[in-house]
Amino acid sequence: MRKFTAVALAAVFALGSFAAARAATPILETGSSLLYPLMNLWVASYQAKNHTVQITTQSTGSGTGISQAIAGVAQIGASDAYMGDPQMRGHRMLNIPLAISAQQINYNIPGLNNVHLHLSGPVLAGIYMGRIKYWNDPQIKALNRPYAGRLPHRTIIPIHRTDGSGDTFIFSQYLSFTTPMWSHGPGYGTSISWPSVSTAVGANGNPGMVQACKATPYSIAYIGVSFINETNKAGLGYGLLKNRAGRFVAPTASTIGSAAAAMYPKTPRDERISLVFAPGANSYPIINYEYAIVNPHQKNAETREALVKFLSWVLDHNGGQEMHFLNAVHFLPLPASIAKLSREQVAQIH
Amino acid sequence: MLAGVLTSVAAGICLLLVVLMLVFLLWYTWPAIRYNGLSILNDITWNIGNQYGTGSSVHNGVAAEPGAEFGGLVFLVGTLLSALLAMVFAVPLALGVALTIVYRLPERLRLPVNALIELMAGIPSVVYGLWGTIVLVPWVGNRVAPFVTHHFGFIPFLGGDAGSGNGLFAAAIVLAIMVMPIMVATVRDVLLAQPKSIFEASMALGSTSWQAVTHAVLPSVRTGIVGAILVAFGRALGETMAVLMVAGNAINILPHNIFSPINTIAAVVVSQLESAVSDASGVAQRSLAELALVLFVISLTVNTVARVAIRGQDRSH
Amino acid sequence: MVSRVTRNVAISRLWWVLCISSLVGALLVLLSLFGFVFVRGVAAIRPEIFFTVTQGIAGGLANAIVGTLLLVTLAIVLVVPVGIGAAVWVTQFAPDRLRIVVRLSIDVLFGVPSIVVGYFLYVALVETAGWGFSLVAGSLALAIIMLPYVYRAADLAFSAVPRDLVEASVALGARPLTTFVRVAFPWALPGTLTGLLIGVGIAVGETAPLIYTAGWSNYMPTLAPTHSPVGYLTYVVWTFINEPFKQSHQLAYAAAFLLMIAIFVTNFVARAGVEYWASRTRSHS
Repeated sequence: MRKFTAVALAAVFALGSFAAARAATPILETGSSLLYPLMNLWVASYQAKNHTVQITTQSTGSGTGISQAIAGVAQIGASDAYMGDPQMRGHRMLNIPLAISAQQINYNIPGLNNVHLHLSGPVLAGIYMGRIKYWNDPQIKALNRPYAGRLPHRTIIPIHRTDGSGDTFIFSQYLSFTTPMWSHGPGYGTSISWPSVSTAVGANGNPGMVQACKATPYSIAYIGVSFINETNKAGLGYGLLKNRAGRFVAPTASTIGSAAAAMYPKTPRDERISLVFAPGANSYPIINYEYAIVNPHQKNAETREALVKFLSWVLDHNGGQEMHFLNAVHFLPLPASIAKLSREQVAQIH
Repeated sequence: MLAGVLTSVAAGICLLLVVLMLVFLLWYTWPAIRYNGLSILNDITWNIGNQYGTGSSVHNGVAAEPGAEFGGLVFLVGTLLSALLAMVFAVPLALGVALTIVYRLPERLRLPVNALIELMAGIPSVVYGLWGTIVLVPWVGNRVAPFVTHHFGFIPFLGGDAGSGNGLFAAAIVLAIMVMPIMVATVRDVLLAQPKSIFEASMALGSTSWQAVTHAVLPSVRTGIVGAILVAFGRALGETMAVLMVAGNAINILPHNIFSPINTIAAVVVSQLESAVSDASGVAQRSLAELALVLFVISLTVNTVARVAIRGQDRSH
Repeated sequence: MVSRVTRNVAISRLWWVLCISSLVGALLVLLSLFGFVFVRGVAAIRPEIFFTVTQGIAGGLANAIVGTLLLVTLAIVLVVPVGIGAAVWVTQFAPDRLRIVVRLSIDVLFGVPSIVVGYFLYVALVETAGWGFSLVAGSLALAIIMLPYVYRAADLAFSAVPRDLVEASVALGARPLTTFVRVAFPWALPGTLTGLLIGVGIAVGETAPLIYTAGWSNYMPTLAPTHSPVGYLTYVVWTFINEPFKQSHQLAYAAAFLLMIAIFVTNFVARAGVEYWASRTRSHS
């Protein structure tokens, strides 16, 4: 018996040292489900050439990304939201933009999903506050004269994110910037205190939002553009949103680009800035920087080296910023000026 | 003697573990207990506060982000309602199944049926959740809820919005299915431990088999059955994943009818922990731990009462 | 008089029909569940699943399968000495008062929802001690969850060892340790093992506490005790069904199917093992 135990123990240790000898530097990326599809493309391509690092990607929500990066559990916290001042005071983290993304408003109204409804901040706020209860509400009709007769008398089921989410952040910013009642009420954040609406349903991550919206007739949801292929496949409709200039625009490369261009010059050195509700006649109102939240102090030298190398590749126009990566998820690359700011931040990792 | 020392160390670890966990939870939640006061039990609003604002809100010397409020009433009500409704479904079913197994099932069917019931108890929570999401929720949302709200809407708590299928009703069904096997097994064992003569004597006096069961057998095992129900109730209160997947994740609102989305303490701890961790003041995370502590106290009470009831039953014969 | 008897018989029949239909109903629900998992699971199982690791939302389950095995194995290694040791001490050595205290603490453990265990270890080990998501944190969570089941089964089994058998052995001049190893231990083994297997079944199916202790990894687990997250099957079921991709749904169904098979096997082994040991002890005595 004792002999057997000894042999077994020796085997375990041998296996362990074998595994340890072969182990590459592990890097954990966790957070934003909006960035997740792009992260997977990046990592797969990067790993094919770099075998000394093992990057795990996880779609957990921006809130998790930020908090696990702060806790030191993850090396890269992916987030659609920059960190707030109170958080920065407690923990000085780098907020490094990697790409530009946008958000669509999706709905599942049987018979009307092929139609792009016009939606505004106040109407969306009304829906998520329970003041606009039915799809044929006068306020929705007023924005959609041509389809007014086809809007059904059905209860709207607003779907929101339950995980701490950058999508919630930019969506609630759009509502806050357009609707005083919202900004004085729930306000904005990665997780906000949702108003009580008796039919409201929570979903986990962008994938959960697509799934829930697809499964629930007469629902409405806010979903990142990297899920356009999935929302199309699910047959969901998407709305045209009212921008600062009062025009209703769809999320396209041109409208996202126009909004982003208006905000580049305003981006500060630490790159923490909202791109939501940007000026410009052609600007799409809900866009954002996709951030990597990184602790500038990396204790482990191997981890630090691997991290800097990977982030530099992501920010390189011959690397992660190549169009074929970004096109696949309907994101835009960073312009040279912003990529430079991001590279300067990466250089601060020590 | 070495064996005695070694095994006493093992027992010590068990003890230490429990003490450590309790002390840790109390110590860790103390600022939240002070910040929240009673509102953790009777306030509807759960709001981790404005993470992008300035200033802070202070209660009893503990500072949180501006506007932070940690009311657990929605989760407490969701936990209790879903577990209670699950009992409404599960108790008659489990009693029926247990009585059938003991008094009606042919000997050769007993082993396979018992094995199946045991298997049911072992199915992982996520698998029930998967089945709930894909099979049960669409069925409730498309068929049951519209039908019930339309035809029985005049009965309180059955009318109003039919909702999406995710909600109290779906959660209670999944919970009922999950706890039923535990209840069946306990009731069955209690019934089998009863001397056969009680049933036979009653039959000999001319009663029907059903009268023998209701008048003679069931009264004598009443405490045991109550114990079994309480054990199942305790399990239902603490169940996490399956409920999380079908309950609808309600926040800041109490259920209006049995199809309303709800949330339970266990589910909210899983789904909100990471949001809470992003609260720079740390009070949100501690408030979630306080909710966990509340759940701990409730399920501890239920379990203790259940054990006393079952032990009482064991002693009575 | 006759009519009253007939009426009573009819009522009795009616109630029994209801009881039997509740059993049939329960079996139908079980059938729906099994059918669902097996039909979708079998369709989703491909040989590559066992040999490739998860890539994002596609790929295989090799990392999750090995991870589940590792986590549960280490949990068994941790829980067996503590759970069974404590039960042996309580039934063989402990003074009355301490016996009650240990049993009480196990009762308390039964009442701890598994998510509370996960939360406790997340704050204490993953964050405060700085272990990160890791094998040891995950296995500890599983071990704590298994502990009351293992302990209680062992306690019951060792309490049921007949006194006269032990006394006879001692009277024949056997040392206490020999008596324990030769008499009490074989007698209590089947019950203890059943409890352990029930615990293993529960550990294999746990999700909530692992999310915050083991984390998740797309790669084969290393044997590093800390700082290296580990994948497991239940995570796949819980997150991948929420992804809007067909491949990820396939993986979720495959993982659910494998979990069910694992539960079947532990259940079967538990039952068969008990029968075997019971017959062996009987023939010995």
